[in-house]
Amino acid sequence: GNIFNEMQRLVNDGPESWLNAISVWKNLLELDAKKDKLCQRDANPLKRKVGENDVTNLKKLKTEQMQELQESRECQPEKQMEEERVEQGDFLMNREKSQEAFQNEVVKAADDPSQKDLTFRVSCRCSGAIAKTFTAQEVGRVIGIALMKQFGWKADLRNPNLEIFIHLNDIYSVVGIPVFRVPLASRAYIKTAGLRSTIAWAMASLAEIKAGAFVFDPMCGLGTILLEAAKEWPDVYYVGADVSDSQLLGAYDNLKAAGLQDKIELLKVSVTELPLPSESVDVIISDIPFGKKFKLGKDIKSILQEMERVLHVGGTIVLLLNNDHHRRLQDCEQSGIPSNSKGSPTDEPGIEKCLSPREKTDLSDTVSSSSKASSQGGLDKMPLVGSLAPVECYQVSLGRTEAFICKYRKSHSLGLEQACCCEPGSSPVGQLHSSEGGCTGPS
Amino acid sequence: MKPLPHNLPSPHVRGVGPRGFPLRLQATEVRINPVEFNPDFVARMIPKVEWAALLEAADTLHLVEVPKGPIEGYEHDEKFLRQMHHVLLEVDVLEGTLQCPESGRLFPISRGIPNMLLSDEETET
Repeated sequence: GNIFNEMQRLVNDGPESWLNAISVWKNLLELDAKKDKLCQRDANPLKRKVGENDVTNLKKLKTEQMQELQESRECQPEKQMEEERVEQGDFLMNREKSQEAFQNEVVKAADDPSQKDLTFRVSCRCSGAIAKTFTAQEVGRVIGIALMKQFGWKADLRNPNLEIFIHLNDIYSVVGIPVFRVPLASRAYIKTAGLRSTIAWAMASLAEIKAGAFVFDPMCGLGTILLEAAKEWPDVYYVGADVSDSQLLGAYDNLKAAGLQDKIELLKVSVTELPLPSESVDVIISDIPFGKKFKLGKDIKSILQEMERVLHVGGTIVLLLNNDHHRRLQDCEQSGIPSNSKGSPTDEPGIEKCLSPREKTDLSDTVSSSSKASSQGGLDKMPLVGSLAPVECYQVSLGRTEAFICKYRKSHSLGLEQACCCEPGSSPVGQLHSSEGGCTGPS
Repeated sequence: MKPLPHNLPSPHVRGVGPRGFPLRLQATEVRINPVEFNPDFVARMIPKVEWAALLEAADTLHLVEVPKGPIEGYEHDEKFLRQMHHVLLEVDVLEGTLQCPESGRLFPISRGIPNMLLSDEETET
């Protein structure tokens, strides 16, 4: 009842913003057709505070021409009807849109006859608590009818011009227009994908890859992570390793298909016995086998120890972990130190970071926020393995399974560990700062 | 497999001495690939180069014109950088072996990928 009214108001209260969005969408499509060179943008997570919740929306799109565009709209039907818009700053800077220009466009758009002839379809997805109250079809229908009344568009379920896309769950509400017709994760340059490319890219972007770095994936499988990273950060030395011949051959095929065989070196080695000198690697990124498709021969802790050995001080590790691994590592983290934190992370609003790559056809890649680590001071976190300090952690959904992207930083060499004084039971004289190396002063 | 900038120490065999012995490279099939020259990238690799191991590999592969070590102002010395570029990025060992000088154990290189697994364990796919 109430919520349906809210939804209708969403459509009716701000028709200009709908029309704006549509004209931007149209412009994007025209540009795509003309194959203009657009400036590339890194898709950065955006943070917004709406009411009490942080709502973020990120759309990362890649086409064969490597155009990256970003468009998002956020609404909160439950709270005040605040509408926020994210402008693509870089993208639109060539167009210098001022307020007046916008108004003119809106007016034009409203009068534009082709707008009236627009056919549309509303695709809706509900999950979480809201799914218990309505079905996706109901929501879609309410919005669809409101749109038809407001703008006079016609509904076409099979082949619409415009697709309106709605996703409601416990954490955010998203209304948007998909700009591309292929899934976000599709890549022209990957022959056989292992890990979903969007996740691989997200992991690489967390890893702080700098030019001239040595980036290593000790369980590279088909090489998806290295491929995504090498495309985005090319002046970097990449090495991938795996124990499986067939995976390595597949990886080599992928490298060749992408033209990256000169940029990425492959080795057949075991992650627990790495033929690399200590402290020689700058970045480690890896998708730890979950045990469903591939088995993990060794224990996660010994794997991390070997990774820690080869990593430079200050280097980062970004891992994709399943629930079991994540829990196991958290137990290691928290053992021994009496907790100084204020209790469970859910008590505090905290800083919720959301990465949510969006896909038009497959909507299962959602990322819910769960930053439990350094933003709350990290005072209660024992370094994980030797000197690996947890930095941040994001929960991701890989379709049917849940996973965690976890980032660690090596804060010092093991030899110095004794000098750093996090002894259980005693009052900590120094603390390992979980996002920077070294000890801070007395707490 | 290209000669890595770092030496390639033997994977650790429990009980057999500390890590650190560079593996000795022998090649039966080598391919030279032209790779686009990126001076910045090569300059960044230079500090990471383990020269003794690299020179030994270069010798085995019969590479000529290999610098013996970093020279003063190498970042701007195009000739030096191009020579290093060639050694580090354009030489690919397709078939050969890597030998641990301590244990004598041989690790094969096949189709450009060295196999350095200590056990014959291979995970299921």
